[in-house]
Amino acid sequence: MTDFIPLSAPELAQYVRQASATGETLGVIGGGTRGLAPKDVSQIVSTSGLSGITFYEPSEMVIGARAGTPLTDVEQALADKGQMLAFEPMDHRPLMATRGQPTIGAVAACNISGPRRVSAGAARDHLIGIEMVNGRGEIIRSGGRVMKNVTGLDLVKLNAGAQGSLGILTEVIFKLMPIREQSLTLCWHGLDEADAIALMGEAMGTPFEIDAAAHIPDYGEEQGARTLLRLEGFAPSCTYRFKQLARLFSHHGQPEKIEGEKARALWRMVANAEPFTSPDFAHVLRVHIAVSKAPRLLEYASGWGVRTLIDWSGGLIWLGLEPDTDIAQWRQQIAALGGHARLVRSSQVPGPAFASPDEKIAGLMSGIKHAFDPAGIFNPGIL
Amino acid sequence: MTAIAFAQPDAAILARRDAIVAGLAALVPSDVLITNPDECRAYETDAFTAYRRMPMAVLLPRSTQEVAAIMAFCQEQGVNVVARGAGTSLAGGAIPQEDAVVIGVSRLNRVLEFDRPNRTLKVEAGITNLAVSAAVAPDGFFYAPDPSSQLACTIAGNIAMNSGGAHCLKYGVTTNNVLGATVVLADGSIVELGGDAMDMPGLDLLGLIVGSEGQLGIVTEAILRVLPLAEGARPVLFGFDTSEDAGACVAAIIGAGIVPVAMEFMDKPAIEICEAFAKAGYPLDVGAMLIIEVEGSDDEIDFTLQKIVEIANGHGVKVIKQSRSATETAQIWKGRKSAFGATGRIADYLCMDGTIPTSQLPYVLKRMSEIVAGYGLRVANVFHAGDGNLHPLILFNANDPEELAKAEMAGADILTLCVEVGGCLTGEHGVGIEKRDLMPKQFTREELDQQMRVRAVFDPQWRLNPSKVFPLENRWMPQ
Amino acid sequence: MQTQFAPERLADSQMAESEKILRSCVHCGFCTATCPTYLLEGDELDSPRGRIYLIKDMLENDKPASADVVKHVDRCLSCLSCMTTCPSGVHYMHLVDHARAHIEKTYRRPLADRFIRAVLAAILPYPNRFRAALALGRLGQPLAPVLAKLPGGERLKSMLALVPQKLPRAPKPTQQNLAAAKKGRVALLAGCAQQVLDPEINAATTRLLNRLGIEIADTKDTGCCGALVHHMGKEHQGHVAAKRAIDAWWPEIEAGKLDAIIITASGCGTTIKDYGFMLRDDPDYAHKAKAVSELALDITQYLATLDLPKGEPREEVIAYHSACSMQHGQQIRDEPKNLLKTAGFTVKDVPEGHICCGSAGTYNILQPGFATRLRDRKVKNIERVAPDLIATGNIGCMTQIGTGTDIPIIHTIQVLDWAYGGPKPAALG
Ligand SMILES: Cc1cc2nc3c(=O)[nH]c(=O)nc-3n(C[C@H](O)[C@H](O)[C@H](O)COP(=O)(O)OP(=O)(O)OC[C@H]3O[C@@H](n4cnc5c(N)ncnc54)[C@H](O)[C@@H]3O)c2cc1C
Ligand code: SF4
Ligand code: SF4
Repeated sequence: MTDFIPLSAPELAQYVRQASATGETLGVIGGGTRGLAPKDVSQIVSTSGLSGITFYEPSEMVIGARAGTPLTDVEQALADKGQMLAFEPMDHRPLMATRGQPTIGAVAACNISGPRRVSAGAARDHLIGIEMVNGRGEIIRSGGRVMKNVTGLDLVKLNAGAQGSLGILTEVIFKLMPIREQSLTLCWHGLDEADAIALMGEAMGTPFEIDAAAHIPDYGEEQGARTLLRLEGFAPSCTYRFKQLARLFSHHGQPEKIEGEKARALWRMVANAEPFTSPDFAHVLRVHIAVSKAPRLLEYASGWGVRTLIDWSGGLIWLGLEPDTDIAQWRQQIAALGGHARLVRSSQVPGPAFASPDEKIAGLMSGIKHAFDPAGIFNPGIL
Repeated sequence: MTAIAFAQPDAAILARRDAIVAGLAALVPSDVLITNPDECRAYETDAFTAYRRMPMAVLLPRSTQEVAAIMAFCQEQGVNVVARGAGTSLAGGAIPQEDAVVIGVSRLNRVLEFDRPNRTLKVEAGITNLAVSAAVAPDGFFYAPDPSSQLACTIAGNIAMNSGGAHCLKYGVTTNNVLGATVVLADGSIVELGGDAMDMPGLDLLGLIVGSEGQLGIVTEAILRVLPLAEGARPVLFGFDTSEDAGACVAAIIGAGIVPVAMEFMDKPAIEICEAFAKAGYPLDVGAMLIIEVEGSDDEIDFTLQKIVEIANGHGVKVIKQSRSATETAQIWKGRKSAFGATGRIADYLCMDGTIPTSQLPYVLKRMSEIVAGYGLRVANVFHAGDGNLHPLILFNANDPEELAKAEMAGADILTLCVEVGGCLTGEHGVGIEKRDLMPKQFTREELDQQMRVRAVFDPQWRLNPSKVFPLENRWMPQ
Repeated sequence: MQTQFAPERLADSQMAESEKILRSCVHCGFCTATCPTYLLEGDELDSPRGRIYLIKDMLENDKPASADVVKHVDRCLSCLSCMTTCPSGVHYMHLVDHARAHIEKTYRRPLADRFIRAVLAAILPYPNRFRAALALGRLGQPLAPVLAKLPGGERLKSMLALVPQKLPRAPKPTQQNLAAAKKGRVALLAGCAQQVLDPEINAATTRLLNRLGIEIADTKDTGCCGALVHHMGKEHQGHVAAKRAIDAWWPEIEAGKLDAIIITASGCGTTIKDYGFMLRDDPDYAHKAKAVSELALDITQYLATLDLPKGEPREEVIAYHSACSMQHGQQIRDEPKNLLKTAGFTVKDVPEGHICCGSAGTYNILQPGFATRLRDRKVKNIERVAPDLIATGNIGCMTQIGTGTDIPIIHTIQVLDWAYGGPKPAALG
């Protein structure tokens, strides 16, 4: 189903120029794992031909890769040198029941982050440089390979999360973090959501450098509810922080210490929203919200008996909704709390992804879209 | 003076000065508006004093609504606007021009709301960087980006410049620590970007505003991420014979998987200058020094430091000196953070801000000395070593126009060098007017056009800080 | 910063000095953040950097002072917080002194302003006149609301508000109980306004020093040190006062009989320590002035050299208010607090302690609006540490803060005298 697989940025640029001259519209796919197969476009471009790590300097903690490079290739190269992408990108395949390989370009374009986002920042915070082809078929670079760079307007941030609406990324450059010597997870059992949110919120305010904080509610399975705090660092430091936190929250009971593959599996489950893989959840909503407002949303959700999963110490809440749910009403609830909901999986046709209730902001966004892509050829319908 | 040009003032605007001033006077309380030339003069420059331009008037509004009213008026009248925070820009970002009014946000300095579980603080944007940390310190929190100018510079200026600081190696720069902003657009409308939740959907307009140098709108409020203070922090001084040794040590520490909160570099001239001011106990008999700070409990600090010391020993470290008290820690950082000002005791300086890949450090340090010496000048180096953000201070005599010209040329050569080795013109101070004409060294014509097309979405008439960032020739404007 | 002085204008030594100061300012703006008036106004014109810029423009172009420049220079408290902050070592004090003198020469103030300044300059430095004026002032207090409506009346009103209800009697402190083993000999600045407002301060000083075996030289009356008029830009009057003080001390100094000149009002201390600079071009006085400045010590600096015994812990919690002339003018920070701690008190720093209380010599009279806002801010900060008493080393601050709070405010030396066997300060009941 792919119409064109460019092998280089100039080749892609030329193709785009042609497309815009002939009034074609282009959909971009990376690995196709997010299930966002472009619809209503005349041509589909795959980045799979733009593959390979362009440079990797472990001592500078930076890596550059062409946009279609499989994420696993990048992660493997980094792991070999004891480094990682600190924002822990989510893998959509379990949730979306898709196959294929997630690509590094899509990670950037969709600003995909996982549990460590709460402490280390999102993909957009680690993306320091891009090369892209805009709607005029020009090759545009922004940012670069150095960690600090404020030269000119930050088109990197603008493209991170733009989902390919401004152009096609051809190369991305990320800054990196060392993989820590040790990773420890504290797990409290049986807390209700309010207690869990309170615990996580308080823990994030301690000096004990929580790496990630999540809560898996009681799904009526054997394990019951689990509240997780992850610590990373040198071993003595992790041990010390573990003790401090266990003491601080002893009124919630002694936490279990989880390490190794068992811990990794737990965090993968959180990162990839695995509790929602079942097709029974017709709609899966991903909600970003202020931690202090999360309890109100959770209360609302529990009134409907809705399955939830809480990450980012309460800043990210997954909701699994029944087929005949009134999504608009949920969106309203969430918006009233200053949050935002994204329909990640749904039997419904999702509306435009970037709809902003503020006319002025919507105007700015479509202005920017036009500034990159005057003919509106990329991923139409997102804005 | 003035090798760098400003846009020609618009004669039609100058001719209507009195009417414009009268219009503004009708709009705001009298103590918000400054029009007397004697008084406006104090606003004619920022910390880049080699250039100055008198504004038509200065406005110091007290609310977002006042800012909005002024912006709407200026838009209607076709008057240029230059935003100002504390005027500490080293790139001339806040320097006005004859046909512009200055909107200063220094009076918008209130703390609005601390949301502890969310770890966010909502403030008015004219609050100083240090006042933000002070506001949450009693609760055990701080605001991480810490430009050396943090005592004076405003959050508005930090957002406009995407400022960084010594502790950004671990915590990121401004853009990584801002969740939301209230912005008054050129036409006077008010928008709220981002919010108190993370990663809002859609195009990252907030990410675009950060670092946009006052060209897209006026920031009046911000929601900032604040972080819990570490249990303790200890800076350690490492003295080396040569800059190369120090540079290699930095690469080795990072290579070993250790990311200290800060790694700051000073060469011999800088050490001497700062020690004379701060009396921080810097070693004076070394060729280069690193200040490395680690955080945590005492045991954690000891543990990490031991690893760093081992690496430093392998790189020929000559002196190792730990801070033993809070006072010593304060002195050590005072010395570093006062580096630029303290340099003022011995000479005028131009402060460069290029960033380079850290692997290029030894080569670039050597080339920089050669370049500056080639112009018959001296250079002192202080910089954020962990991220390759250089701050060579080119010393010169500002009362000698020829030396100023030489210093500017040396600066341009150094920045060109930074770009050539894979770096950039500016890591945290911004382009302003200072590096404006070097932009084509880093960007192609198409790339500059693309940035200007985005700029035009916000300000099609080039009314906001119009002489900055983009070279005056070849400016892109909507048809 | 670049300057553009015509070379011939730099022949003048004061101009040359100011040019040097301006050259060292890099316009970094750090100082704005710690300037009291900038904190209140958020206007760079009311900040050190702004003032420096206005002064630069005025001096460089040999312009007569304009009303606007005068307005912003007048608002400066001369608290010198900016000098503490400045990493470049800009000597703001000398620059603003020069500017004030320039203003005095080139600017004709409105009548009411001239009047009040003349009155202050004619009364404050002279204890007898001041005492008489205060007596009159008490009579005038009921008139304050009426006066406030006259031109310059706001200031008259604030002047009256500062008048204490009761004036202490003013005995000249006598030496007593001079310890057998004489350890030192010092001169004690009698001062002007302080003598009238609170003669107990020097009395306590005398008692404590005597008990410690320090003799106080019986020098001629020095009169006012010149600080008050100097800060109003009355340069000549300031120099006359300085010379009179120098003359009073000189015979003792020349004979090598003084270990120190002790000052109990830090405002005066800052000025006396600057005599050497003030009179540097005076062929007859330059070397004497320098000698005086070198001998001048705040009482707490001197006491710190004497190794006072450690006292039993006491229950009083003291908020130590560091006068600007103490912490910024003379850069004295730890000595007073350490002395109080050694004496057994719990000593707390006042939040935002580097910001002026608004007293600043005659400032609270000339700029009552700013002064009151600063006082209220100061009092709020002091009250946050909930002290039993406030200790400070400057009479001006005592009067100023005293009008805004019921917490007793006492000179550090009186507290120390009490702790080491002297009488309990009257303010503590
Ligand atoms: C001694 C010294 C040390 C410094 N050290 C550092 C350092 O370590 N790291 C660092 O990053 N920088 C440093 N700087 C540079 C400077 O302090 C920063 O750029 C700072 O963020 C500027 O803040 P400001 O409030 O002074 O802004 P200003 O200088 O007033 O303005 C800076 C820019 O922001 C724009 N602006 C101001 N207010 C607004 C607003 N409300 N809305 C939109 N735009 C606005 C202005 O138009 C201008 O372009 C240093 C400067 C000095 C003098
Ligand atoms: S801090 Fe010093 S150098 Fe900086 S502006 Fe103020 S006076 Fe000038
Ligand atoms: S002396 Fe005090 S009031 Fe005057 S400029 Fe300096 S800090 Fe401000």
